[in-house]
Order: sequence, then C-alpha cells, then structure tokens
Amino acid sequence: MTDVSAPAIALRGLSKFYGAIAAVRDLNLEVRTGEVFGFLGLNGAGKSTTIRILLDLLRATSGEAFIFGHNCRHESRSARAVTGYLPGELGLYSDLTGIETLKFLAGVGEQNVRAEFRVELQERLELSNSDLRRKVREYSAGMKRKLGLIQAMQHDPPLLILDEPTEGLDPLMRDAFYGLIDDARKRGRTIFMSSHILSEVERVCQRIAFLRKGELAALSNVEEICRLAPRRVRIIFGEAVPTPTQFPPGHEVVETSAKEWRLRVEGPLGPLLKILADRPVDELRVDEPKLEDVVLKYYRKERP
Amino acid sequence: MKGPAILLLHSLKRARNIVLALGILLSLFQLFLILMARAYEVEGSFAQMAALMPPFMRDLIGSSMASFLSFGGMVSLGYFHPVVMAALIGLEISIATGPTAEIESGFMDLILSRPLARHWVITRTIFASAICAVVVLSMMLITTALGLRMLAPPGSELPSFQLLFSLAANLGLLMLCWSGITLMIATTSQRRGVAGWIAGLFAVATFLLDYIGRAWPAAAKLWVLSPFHYYSPLDLIMGRPLVFSNLIVLAAIAAVTSGLSYIFFLRRDITH
Repeated sequence: MTDVSAPAIALRGLSKFYGAIAAVRDLNLEVRTGEVFGFLGLNGAGKSTTIRILLDLLRATSGEAFIFGHNCRHESRSARAVTGYLPGELGLYSDLTGIETLKFLAGVGEQNVRAEFRVELQERLELSNSDLRRKVREYSAGMKRKLGLIQAMQHDPPLLILDEPTEGLDPLMRDAFYGLIDDARKRGRTIFMSSHILSEVERVCQRIAFLRKGELAALSNVEEICRLAPRRVRIIFGEAVPTPTQFPPGHEVVETSAKEWRLRVEGPLGPLLKILADRPVDELRVDEPKLEDVVLKYYRKERP
Repeated sequence: MKGPAILLLHSLKRARNIVLALGILLSLFQLFLILMARAYEVEGSFAQMAALMPPFMRDLIGSSMASFLSFGGMVSLGYFHPVVMAALIGLEISIATGPTAEIESGFMDLILSRPLARHWVITRTIFASAICAVVVLSMMLITTALGLRMLAPPGSELPSFQLLFSLAANLGLLMLCWSGITLMIATTSQRRGVAGWIAGLFAVATFLLDYIGRAWPAAAKLWVLSPFHYYSPLDLIMGRPLVFSNLIVLAAIAAVTSGLSYIFFLRRDITH
C-alpha cells in the first residue's frame, strides 16, 4: 500500500561511490507530495545517479531512498508502480512503431492506461495517430522526446521523475509540456525533474535542490532563492553626477558613467535610495532577480 | 504474469526473423544432404570413398567411419557439421546477449522503470533461447523426416527417428549450455559486442580443445572441460545409445551458468 502521508521522495544519507570517486555523497532530501521539484546541477553533479537509485537501476553504496514510503531497494516494485520515468537518454527500439512502444511499455508494467488520457497527451504534444504508426527510426529527436513523455505519463502516475524533459523540444512544445506539468500538479501529482533550462525550472518548480560534486549545495523555495539573488538596478540621471567613491555593502558596480549607473544590489534598497535622494534621478529600473543569477553563481563556484 | 509474458513475446518477435531464416537454411541443408546421400547411395560411392580414405583419417574417425560413410551417416551430418553447430550456437549467443544490448541502448531503463521484478529479464531470455532452439531443431527434424520419406532411395538403410531425435536433443542441450554460458558473460558486461566476442571465442577455443582431445590422447584430461566433449554424434550414428550423463552434464552447465546469471544481474548496476 502506498503511504500518502509519506513524502513523495525521501533520501536519507544516500551515497554512491565508484571506487574512490563519489557520484553522490550523503544526500538528504525530501520532496513533498504534490510539489514540482527541480533537481539542478552541472553535468556529473550526481543528478542522474540519484534518479537511477530511486528507480533501483543503480544500487546505493550507503543510505536509503524512499518513494511514498517504499524503500527503493527492498520494495522497489511498489516504488516503481507509482512512478513514471523519462530518462535523460532515451533508448528505444527503432524498428517498433510509436504505438507499439507505448503498448509494450504499458503492458510490461501491467499499467492501467486510459485511452482518452493517452489521446489527450498525444494531442497536447502534437503526436498524431499517424505519427504513432510510424517506426521510431523515422522520428526526429523532438518526436522521440514526446514519445518518451507520453510513455512516462500515460498511466498518470502519482510521481513523475523526468530527467531533462524538454531536451530537444521546440519552444511551442515546451509550453505544451509546462501545461501538462501544471495540470498534473493540479491533479495532486508530484513531479521531480532535472533540467539545465533555468527559466523552465523557475517557471514550473516550487522548490529546487542544487547538487555540487554529488553533495547538496542548496535546497530552497524558488521564490526564496530568488529573493537572495542580487537585483539589477539601473539609474539614469537628468544631468551628470559624481560617482561615489564607495557604495554601501552588498552593492556591486557593474558600470557607471556621468549620467548612468548600473549596479547589482544584494539585500534592501534603502541605502541606495538614500544616496539617490539628493541626485536628479530621471529613471530608476529594478529588475526582479532571476533564478539564473543564483544558480549561475553556484555553477561558477563549482568550475575550477 | 502478463508483464513477463509480454516481455517474452517481445523477445520472440524480435528473434522471429533470424530464427525462421536459420531454420529454413538448415532445413534446406538437410534436404541437400539427403539428395547428396541419395546420389552417392545410388552410384555406390560410399564404398569407394571408404576405400580411398587415407589410413590416418581412418584412425582419426575410428570405427565410426563405416557408419559415417553411409546414407544414414551423411544425412545425420546436418546435426553435427561444424558450420551448423556454429550457426546454432551463434543464434544462442545472439539471444543471450539481448539483455546487455537493451542495457547498452537504454531500453532496459524503460523496462525496469516499470514494476517488473528484475529476474524476469533473465527468465525471459532463458525461455526465448530454449524456444528458439526448439523451433530451429524441430524445423530440421521435420524436414529430415519428410525428406527421407520422399527422397530416400528404395532399399537404403534410413537413419532411425530415434537417432535423429537423439542427435537433436543432444545438440539442443549443447545450445542451451552455450546460452547459459553467454548469458552469464553478458550479465557482467557493459557491451553486447564484448559479451558476444568473449562467448564466441570461448566456444571456438573449447571446440578446438574437443577436436584435439578426440585425436590426441595426451589432451584427454583437458578434453572434459569442453562442453563439446558431451556431444558425440559419431557414437550415436554407430548405434550406441544416447549417453544420459552427457545430457546431465550439459544441463548442469546450463543450470549453473543460468543461476549465476540471475545472481549477477540482480546485483549489477544498470548503466549505459
């Protein structure tokens, strides 16, 4: 029985070593039921390894992983029964048609697929019946990705684990995918996704975890993490003004000229407004912080 | 049981073309052997061939020579000709390396992300190997029986169905033995090509060991290590009964290697 009160995903001290090399180290994480969770990190940070441990494709060196309270190692079948999975690298039999692939995968998993729901997924992802009757070898990368999304979602599982779900999709299809994710969330489904597209994560995810060299570097609300990010501030003056020799702490000068300042401000804007009080300000523009600003900072820290 | 059955059907469907093609090819070979044996029998060439054979060849083949150089012996050749055996073992290697190919391509990720117990992947492969072996050998047996009925010259001594069935049964177990060995190698491999090559080279090495063991008494001790040692078609042609201990050894090798395949596959990481 699936424990609905348990977190959708729980990782407890999860580690995976290949010899002396740690792919994942002492990972502790909980994903709440019904949330859309972004799992971020550079290539090789341990995202796919963690996902594969959840699906019992890889065996953890130590620690445990749970899906709705089912131990992913010892109750793996129960855990997988409530999961839909889209791998980062999708391997399909090229001589099967799209519909044969979908039926085979639903049949192997003995999953109850509602035909109307599959048709709805097809329509929203614009994969027609005639497309599904074609051999997979004739599919473009985008069509294969759509097929991958349908096979993961067709049985409407309580948990979707999606590894780079929009890789290869065009902007319109990305939008369609976001719509599907929104609808799944409204139906109470949990989505755990890794992505390199930060605007996408910001758009669809409520919380994110950031992995660095196999370790959890950050875990936060998307809104909260954006609040911590520096805001970009642009000030245009009506006449030339002298530039202060020193700005308050948390203020980073990007560019200054006689009539324009560009700054990055971390924290409250009050000290800057005090400086501006006796200056002829024509225009003051404050750009909302973006997730990208924070995550890129983490990425830069990771690069040697 | 529906999921595993679908998995098995999927594998059989994928192997269908190669199994049918090989079955037809080897069945045609059986028909040609019957036609060739008929021509020799009618012309009385078997006695001439025996007389022309050099003494060292007679020593090598031993007392089975007379049985081999006969209508029945030539018809039976289709069950132990090295190329036939290589083709049948190649078929088993191809099927038994299937799981590794699925891991390599990433399709195994999709299969095992379903609530399917891992052991079904191995069970499916064992069943698929056995079914394919039975299908090809049955096609050969049926063709031989029909061919003998329609093409055998009157008055010639036909190979008994018991002999043909014994050859096919022993050969079938040899195929399953190689299926088990290959599966064991495949479950520890990352690449199908590597697993196939290792199994193929091992088969060639043990075939040569068997060949040397039969001809050179000094190699007799090592001979027992070759699975081919447990398939003696010439003994069967000479009218000796099927040696059950041979069948048991082949079945035991198949069982042990298949058992190890389960252990290796259940413990391994699925990574490509």
